[in-house]
Amino acid sequence: MSIGRDDVLHVARLAELAVRDEDLPRLVDQLNRIVDYVAQLDRLPAEAAADPQAGESDPDDPFLPGPAQVTLRDDVPGPVPLARPPAEFAPEFAEGFFLVPRHGAMEDL
Amino acid sequence: MSAAAVARDTGARLAAADAAGLNATLYWSQELLDAEARRVEALPADSSLHGMPIALKDNIVTTDAPTTCASRILAGYVSPYEATAVTRLRGAGAMVAAKANMDEFAMGSSTEHSAFGRVVHPLDPSRVPGGSSGGSAALVAAGVVPAALGSETGGSVRQPASFCGVVGVKPSYGRVSRFGLVAFGSSLDCISVFGRTVDDAARVLAAMSGHDPLDRTTLDRPSMRRPEPRRDLRGLRIGLPREYFPADLHPGVAAGMERARRATRELGAELVDVSLPHSAFAVPTYYIVAPAEAAANLARYDGVRYGPRRIGAAGGIQALYQATRGEGFGPEVQRRILIGTYVLSAGYYDAYYRKAQRVRKLIADDFRRAFTGGVDLLLTPTTPTPAFRAGEKTGDPVAMYLADVFVCAISLAGLPALSLPVGRSEGLPVGAQLIGPFFEDEAMLAAAAALERALGADAEVR
Amino acid sequence: MAWETVIGLEVHVQLRTRTKMFCGCRTTFGDPPNTHVCPTCLGLPGALPLPNAEAVRLAARGALALGCTVHEISVFARKNYFYPDLPKGYQISQFDQPLATRGRVAFESPERGRIEAGITRLHLEEDAGKLLHDRFPGKTAVDLNRAGTPLAEIVSEPDIRSPAEARAYLTTLRQVLVYAGVSDCSMEQGSLRVDANISIRPPGETALGTKTEVKNLNSFANVERALEAERTRQIGLAETGGRIAQVTLLFDAGAGEVRELRSKEESHDYRYFPDPDLPPLVLAPGWIAEQQAALPELPEARRARLEADYGIPAYDALVLTGEMDLANYFESVVAAGVEAKMAANWVMGDVMSSFNETGGFPVGAPRLAALVTLVRDGVVSHQAARRIYAELAQHPDQDPRAAADRLGLVQVRDQGALSAWVDEVLTAHPGEVARYRSGEAKLMGFFVGQVMKRSQGKADPKGVQPVLHERLSRR
Repeated sequence: MSIGRDDVLHVARLAELAVRDEDLPRLVDQLNRIVDYVAQLDRLPAEAAADPQAGESDPDDPFLPGPAQVTLRDDVPGPVPLARPPAEFAPEFAEGFFLVPRHGAMEDL
Repeated sequence: MSAAAVARDTGARLAAADAAGLNATLYWSQELLDAEARRVEALPADSSLHGMPIALKDNIVTTDAPTTCASRILAGYVSPYEATAVTRLRGAGAMVAAKANMDEFAMGSSTEHSAFGRVVHPLDPSRVPGGSSGGSAALVAAGVVPAALGSETGGSVRQPASFCGVVGVKPSYGRVSRFGLVAFGSSLDCISVFGRTVDDAARVLAAMSGHDPLDRTTLDRPSMRRPEPRRDLRGLRIGLPREYFPADLHPGVAAGMERARRATRELGAELVDVSLPHSAFAVPTYYIVAPAEAAANLARYDGVRYGPRRIGAAGGIQALYQATRGEGFGPEVQRRILIGTYVLSAGYYDAYYRKAQRVRKLIADDFRRAFTGGVDLLLTPTTPTPAFRAGEKTGDPVAMYLADVFVCAISLAGLPALSLPVGRSEGLPVGAQLIGPFFEDEAMLAAAAALERALGADAEVR
Repeated sequence: MAWETVIGLEVHVQLRTRTKMFCGCRTTFGDPPNTHVCPTCLGLPGALPLPNAEAVRLAARGALALGCTVHEISVFARKNYFYPDLPKGYQISQFDQPLATRGRVAFESPERGRIEAGITRLHLEEDAGKLLHDRFPGKTAVDLNRAGTPLAEIVSEPDIRSPAEARAYLTTLRQVLVYAGVSDCSMEQGSLRVDANISIRPPGETALGTKTEVKNLNSFANVERALEAERTRQIGLAETGGRIAQVTLLFDAGAGEVRELRSKEESHDYRYFPDPDLPPLVLAPGWIAEQQAALPELPEARRARLEADYGIPAYDALVLTGEMDLANYFESVVAAGVEAKMAANWVMGDVMSSFNETGGFPVGAPRLAALVTLVRDGVVSHQAARRIYAELAQHPDQDPRAAADRLGLVQVRDQGALSAWVDEVLTAHPGEVARYRSGEAKLMGFFVGQVMKRSQGKADPKGVQPVLHERLSRR
């Protein structure tokens, strides 16, 4: 698989990153280099990836580095407090609201 | 020495390090140090870290200093809450001395990817200190602080510890709370520690470890204690995984490892050959898993709620997002976000992300089999070479990634590991890596203490 | 040409918890903006999600009430997209391993009688914040009080065949969830929201046509209207050789039209993956069984029981169980000693009117029972009782009998008073008296009515007739 210009523009759009035209060729090269590199996982035979040693376990059961299951919190109010209110860290804030440039109520992005 | 005096001395050393051009800190102030000293003096004198000055990697949030992750996108951001690890260290009597420079959002292996300039190796200004926790490593290596927090996602403490000749300890995943550690790869991230000695690092780790209700990936098990250092290694079987000793290993590193191996045997350990066949795939696996998680973790930097905002020429919310993120993130961070977005996107998920998850399990299974097969610890080189020159690898992202070839697999497997100085090659430090079974951090540290005493770090090995 | 309509519904309900899905902030409605926010629901650097046990319990309960299988292992996943109301740039939801799958809703279709619609899945997720577009010129304002509120998303199979059926399905689904105590399901407060998928196909065709998604449906009536409008649009396109595109539409209730949302293809690439901050959600089989056992009586069972236990007509049972609160009220009135059909009539009459207006019960069940007993005992007339009910609704602490006295509505049975009213009426209507005496017996009703009128409703009709008989039989 190789990444083209359009692929880079597509993922940049998904990631909401502005990419300058002059940076694009270099970015295409570098991303291809990385994708080619990680593609060496394809050298692992499919059977190996399915791990015969694991026996009955599903190869798609994730490896979990931490706890095997999540612990839940009681439904008791008590958030981690804010030492400073949003007004002090927001880039634009008025009358209790964060503000962004207007986009219509019925518009998608 | 009183905490106030320590605070003054630390300030003087920080100022000297700045003057020497180390560029290891992003923030420190004498006022903050003095305030810390006053706070600590009110604590019991027998608190475990009483008066110990500690530097924090700048991706660990504090309410009294900015947390920027060495990124323009968080320039000037001061967190309205504090990381659990910091609260615990402060409670144990530690003083926060400085916020340390790093690769932007912890993405890098040389600390050349900081938006605020590269960190200089304390022993050779032409070289890198390693990364991404290079600022923390340099501060400990330069003797500015006895210990510093870094963070690991794929070796970002062990690798710079090896380059700088200090001890670097990555605990088991789930041992130290990530609440307040700015997320990079959430299934890999661990707050980790640099120390001048194993004991310094172990004390810091013990003080901040333990279950945290604010991080659901911490384990609800008894907290780590400061381990009793071993005098020898009798009765231990130490595995040497053959995949970690390639023929083309740097001769200085090979000589350092020979020295470590000899010391280990002399201390009474039995050395055995083991195999971890899937570790060869650790770096490519890591460079799928970590960017995928990072792409989502870094989506919150959108210029809406905090951090500097750029409006964008076109106006509108999308222009705001793209300008804020496009100008706020540096090139390496953007590359990883793009790769991470790509490997999760429609049509590619199975080929990359799902596959990498499977291989990650195989890598972890290799370690599990080695440890259940009767090996107590594993011994490997930490890095393939000593510290490389600044600029040497910045042109090729993959060459940079390969600096982590011996540390990545352990991060994927969630295991505890540390890097210990084993000597110098042409004046540059060489580190050996000890790897323990999951949650056996104490046993690993106890063994490392014995090895540390036997080795002495400054011997020229070649 | 006739077309078959195929509809599937996605319903989001807010779970009735005190705190948000992943943090300890309160779930509130109508508080000042950004006052219930914390590091986690603001998406601050370094903050982590802390899942709410009660949200999990309520979602499991809702799933069981809908006959779903609740899975022992489910997985939280990140759904990635940018929007100013989404603080982290991803929503924590569930994707390929949802909490529950394969349930059903049985309901009355206006066209097909009693039918079932399948439930594909029910999963847990967090809500986004609120955007206000009209408050600041040129700006959109963001309020994150709602961000992180726990939701259950309930996805139906494409088993619904008309807009009216969609409405009936929603009505029943809502009833079940309210009975199970899972959600308030208030569309006004946004605790129930609906998105609809609709397509058409020639009858007999089994493959699905291209579907469109209709959003912004703020009442069940509007769901029906919007789907009617979209069905008409699709049929119009199909019959003029047009192509139906897979688009998202917004319903403009004012204009009664659907409008196409500007949409880009990549906005649907959500790049789901398991949330590494949250290990799998594991529920013990015993715990799931406990939740099943703890389910309250659901609407269908209650309807059957009311019919059987109280002997009321099926229609009454259906109406009374339409709202759980009404059914509870009805049973309390009966328990206080009122005959069941009488109680049903009252609850379906004046009580339901005030419930629909206020959402509550201004006259408590014991007080209504006391009032109805006054009617049964002939102390007040039915008409008078309705006036007393209105009075009690205004002044809830009054005793029904005292109100009757104060309003002068207690029926008069005193022979002297009744005789006086009767004599006045007979004197005033000599023609009718003569006709009655010549055999027009049906005029009795007229005389009773006149007496009631003259007594301003206070005369006891049962006492009036004997007096009339006695006077009219005198010559």
